Amino acid sequence: MAAKRHVIVGGGTAAINAITSIREFDQGASDIVLVAEERPYSRMVLPYYLGKRISRSHVWTLSPDRLAALGVTTQIGRRATALDTAQQRVTLDNGETVDYDDLLIATGSSAVRAPVPGADLPGVHSFWTLEQADGLIAEVKAGSEVVLVGAGFISFTILNSLVKLGVRLTVIELAPTILPRMIDPNGAAIVTRWLEQHGVTVQTGVRLNAIEEVAGRKRLVLDGGGELSADVVIMATGIRPNLGWLEGAGLEMGRGILVDDHMRTSAPNVYAAGDVAEAFDRVTGQRALHAIEPAAMEHGRIAGANMAGVDRAHRGTVLMNIVDVLDLEIASFGLWDDADAESVAVEKPSQWAYRRLLWHGQGEAMTGAIIIGISEHLWATNDVGILKGLVQDGQPMGAWKRAMMDNPWELKRPFVATGHVGRLLQETVLGRPSTPADEVNAARWVSPEAAALAAQTEV
Amino acid sequence: MKVLHIEPEKCTGCLRCEVACSYVQSGEFNPSKSVIRVSAFERGHTSFSPYTCFQCAEGWCMTACPVEAIDISAVGAKEVQDDQCVGCKLCTLACPYGTIFYDPEREKAFKCNLCGGDPQCAHACPTQAITWIEDFTQDWTGAFAAQRSAADLARIGATNGR
Repeated sequence: MAAKRHVIVGGGTAAINAITSIREFDQGASDIVLVAEERPYSRMVLPYYLGKRISRSHVWTLSPDRLAALGVTTQIGRRATALDTAQQRVTLDNGETVDYDDLLIATGSSAVRAPVPGADLPGVHSFWTLEQADGLIAEVKAGSEVVLVGAGFISFTILNSLVKLGVRLTVIELAPTILPRMIDPNGAAIVTRWLEQHGVTVQTGVRLNAIEEVAGRKRLVLDGGGELSADVVIMATGIRPNLGWLEGAGLEMGRGILVDDHMRTSAPNVYAAGDVAEAFDRVTGQRALHAIEPAAMEHGRIAGANMAGVDRAHRGTVLMNIVDVLDLEIASFGLWDDADAESVAVEKPSQWAYRRLLWHGQGEAMTGAIIIGISEHLWATNDVGILKGLVQDGQPMGAWKRAMMDNPWELKRPFVATGHVGRLLQETVLGRPSTPADEVNAARWVSPEAAALAAQTEV
Repeated sequence: MKVLHIEPEKCTGCLRCEVACSYVQSGEFNPSKSVIRVSAFERGHTSFSPYTCFQCAEGWCMTACPVEAIDISAVGAKEVQDDQCVGCKLCTLACPYGTIFYDPEREKAFKCNLCGGDPQCAHACPTQAITWIEDFTQDWTGAFAAQRSAADLARIGATNGR
């Protein structure tokens, strides 16, 4: 019997984790075909490449050598254009087809620009792919006037690098506050003050109507008659999952591809992971799009295990983000923006410190949190991770809830005294200790699960 | 496998472990650079406990890292490789114990690496609250914290009329 053929479409975090997960379980007993538009690299590290903190060579993830060691056949530089779930066949942009026994859709997202005239002018950039990063790096110089359109997470990941490159930076945002999908207005006000104190101009509640080319520079025309001029414009106005190639494939869709707790789509032997997958949110138990790196990682590993024939269910991902702006740390977890929650918010203005803790439906389990603080203060505590542990574990806090509402600055005592550590130590994503990814290959190591599977096959 | 075995009943809160740890980890005597942190679990009394990485089976920091900068060392520590770490802090977000940190000066994540198999916190501890012995990692402090904080918790409840 021919070896099972896994086809993975996409070369990002979800795809890479699926590949290593398959190999972690099947010791190379299957064929893996990777279809990716580009050589795999990490999008997460591009801001550090922009800021010249790392070299371009640091962005690559699975090198050709690693792919070979993992026993992966590649179709790099190819894009999937159609899926036929009845024939179990993927069509590529050169007209070739690839048949699969099972398929992982991990095609990620693309940057979306605000739909205004001039959005595609030269000198107007997105920052999402390596090519786009290269394009921006070539144009940004110390002293350049740069306008960042959009004050969301992606914008903030590159803000540090831009400031350190010595640009004169203005951030404009359509919403009334910055980071509108990551922190509440109180937190946003603190971050805005911090930015202004560090020489960054912030304008919120501003609609961009058009971008014009004027004497080699850009003029941004704002609603209400205002104008900004810039050498470089960066559009950080959102991302959208890459689902166009699946039109007509018949997969059940919501905002993304609907998957179950095994990352299975509605079509037989088709899995989806990462930004395209509408998968379970750990806190709500409902499906949601979590276009974040840790979700792509967990989705990929769960999908990989199941593709390798090892039954693994996922408990869902915790929505979470962290970003720092000029050494002010900002993070949020879970349902930080929950209108149906009891919450407490506290601030220490002199220390730029802020916290909000939320308890959905007046319950005793903490369901969301926001934390802001100066790096040197914040990292003197264990609190960032402890907030993640509290939201992830989701245990009722009993009388400790009242203590935390009284004093949200003290988290470790409630966290430890309620036994979170013992419960969390029992939890692994794959039901077994994790293997470092770079120790996984197609031949060297045999997992107990793979040995058991091999034994079954022999009978 | 050897683990950092913590017995909070023996901890006096002297912070020698933090001082020793920060020196071996960063070359400074600076508890904010320590990756073992001592906390009080009862107000006004000597109920302290050290708290550091459990070297958990999942390795949330390791699996979250987008550039494979965290490995497992020969002595079983999840260990940050400085030349690979870009300082993106995903590990600090993913670790549910709060035991991996970020150093804004070096722009790197840092955590307990068990000092390569000779943990200095255990050497520094004058009461053997921290020992380096064969055992399984576990929740060393949960029961102690619950017991020692019970009176404080009752007081908070009473203040709030509950």
